[in-house]
Amino acid sequence: MKALILSLAVLSLPLAGGLRAEALSKPKMVEILKGIDTRVKSSGDYKALVYLEQKEKDKPDVAREALVYRRDADQKLMILFTKPKTEAGKGYLRVDKNLWYYDPTVGKWERRTDRERIAGTDSRRQDFDQSDLAGEYDPAFVGDETLGKFKVWHLKLTGKPGQDLAYPVVEFWVDEATGNDLKRQDFALSGKLLRTSYVPKWEKLYSESKKAELWYRKEVRIFDEIDKANSTLVIIKAVDLSPLDANMFTKAWLESKSR
Amino acid sequence: MKTLFLIALRNLALHRRRNLMLGGAIAAVTALLVFLTCLSSGVKQTMLGSALTVATGHINVGGFYKVTAGQSAPLVTDYRKIQAIVEKTLPDLDFVTARGRGWARLVSDNGNMQVGMAGVEMEHEPQLPKVLHLKEGNLADLSKPGSVLLFASQAKKLKVKTGDSLVFSVLTPRGVNNTVDVRVVGVAEDMGMLTSWNVFVPMVTLRALYQMNDDTTGALLVYLKDMKRIPQDVELLRKALSGAGYDVMDAGTSKAFWMKLQDISREEWTGQKLDLTVWEDEISFVSWSLKAIDGISFLLTSVLLVIIAVGIMNTLWIAIRERTREIGTLRAIGMQRPRVLAMFVIEAFCLGVIGTLTGAGLGSLGALGVGALHIAVPEGAQFFTMSSTLKFGFEPARILGAALIITLCTTAISLIPSLKAARMKPVTAMSHI
Repeated sequence: MKALILSLAVLSLPLAGGLRAEALSKPKMVEILKGIDTRVKSSGDYKALVYLEQKEKDKPDVAREALVYRRDADQKLMILFTKPKTEAGKGYLRVDKNLWYYDPTVGKWERRTDRERIAGTDSRRQDFDQSDLAGEYDPAFVGDETLGKFKVWHLKLTGKPGQDLAYPVVEFWVDEATGNDLKRQDFALSGKLLRTSYVPKWEKLYSESKKAELWYRKEVRIFDEIDKANSTLVIIKAVDLSPLDANMFTKAWLESKSR
Repeated sequence: MKTLFLIALRNLALHRRRNLMLGGAIAAVTALLVFLTCLSSGVKQTMLGSALTVATGHINVGGFYKVTAGQSAPLVTDYRKIQAIVEKTLPDLDFVTARGRGWARLVSDNGNMQVGMAGVEMEHEPQLPKVLHLKEGNLADLSKPGSVLLFASQAKKLKVKTGDSLVFSVLTPRGVNNTVDVRVVGVAEDMGMLTSWNVFVPMVTLRALYQMNDDTTGALLVYLKDMKRIPQDVELLRKALSGAGYDVMDAGTSKAFWMKLQDISREEWTGQKLDLTVWEDEISFVSWSLKAIDGISFLLTSVLLVIIAVGIMNTLWIAIRERTREIGTLRAIGMQRPRVLAMFVIEAFCLGVIGTLTGAGLGSLGALGVGALHIAVPEGAQFFTMSSTLKFGFEPARILGAALIITLCTTAISLIPSLKAARMKPVTAMSHI
């Protein structure tokens, strides 16, 4: 009997190996990450109308609209809330490595951490900005999987030494056909899963300045994995790549929008 | 003078009904002021008690550490050296303890809330077992890593009890998300507003959460044997720490450490700066409730005093009118104007003393009685009372002060009619019908 079990085990090894997908090499994984970074990067100016819907336990849903302005070449980013009325005029501005928050009701600027929740939702600055996945993380291959009808590569990204990252470990599910990430899980330093994001829709448009297509996550659904009842929906309603005012990434400009 | 007092008391006794009414009004106002004073003292005592338990020492050697110009954290690095300086410098030190400071999202299966975290090492916390009253659980278990002590209102909000699991979620000073799973080891009775958002965790758990090394803490809480020495001791510490080469922040405005974070983040420096605060600074954001109670007391008392002043003036006008012939006679047989003035002022003074002493007694008894009933305070009003039940404090100096103020006011207001009585010409007064 023992011999039979041993024989079955030995026979099943190559079978299991055959069923298991071939692991992606590290350069290939880095290439995939670079592909995502390049795809979402805009070499010119970028303006997007974003719809944010926040669901929290025992609280009414909150819907917001914001304009996101980016000038990736200079690492500029600005988020200006336009709806509802109570939120209109509030905004975030990144100056160098600092994120500043402006609230017109108090008329003051506050320096916030770069990793803070945007408007108290589960979204972060990174969700609206360009990414540098290849520069910040070391990838490892987890496996070939199926996500709904999509065949995906499951990667585990670990922060490179010396990088202070909001999420030191990230798991990524990348569509094998398009190279777009469809699912992402962010983990705390302790290894606890903090949030899961799904990207059911990607869209692209041609960028004159980039001379290539710019991809953006049309819809992102973010689920809080600690406070399970909380979730955030981010929809990019429109993207405009025409040039922005040269001096608009300033505190004065954002302040003027609330007057 | 003795004669004048005798005349005053006899006159008061003569017009018993009128003076009872007026004296009663003075007593009522005094009683109200004393009652509110006792409430204010109770709030102050509760505030001090909870603050010294949860948030602050008599003096705090805190500080801020900035990894980058934009990111500051309430940390004191290499704190053991600083503790040695504190112990060497202060002559009347009771004890000093290191407390971790943090701000985290605390999540249960049924809810979440933002809480202030106090990281404690139970072996260095002689006061905690004396002042915390546990509703359930065991305080000693707080020395075990991965534990948390909640207060009753928090346990109610998170719908948890001893033994349940919770998760703390924070952003470390380096901007990295981190979590730690903890187990509730006890639920303590609420101690006012401060305990509605502060929890205790073992220092080792706080360090793991914030990725701090063993030489780093939030602040050194310094407890003195005599609180009156706080100002001198702060100066002694400031000099000693500056002398030892530490960068000590200027005294500045009276603010809790977390209220300074925004301003600190705006400043361009990096590294460590120490910040010396006293207990009043750390609870400055809740002391408005004391000011509100004192303000209401002042307003109410002022309005009532004006009414009483009108009453006293009216009564004295009547008395002077009734006793015009008597004044004329007294002046005719040689009583000087100042003594006539003193006669009426002393009468008002005696009425004031009797009224205020009665009122102070009644007010104190009222406060004692209401306090003994442990009346529950609605949640909204707890922002004023700092406690879930009405608590009163008795400070004899404040009570006597309140009585004295009202006595002085009633006496002062009597000067106007008394002056008029003193100015009367004897002939005119004697011929008055």
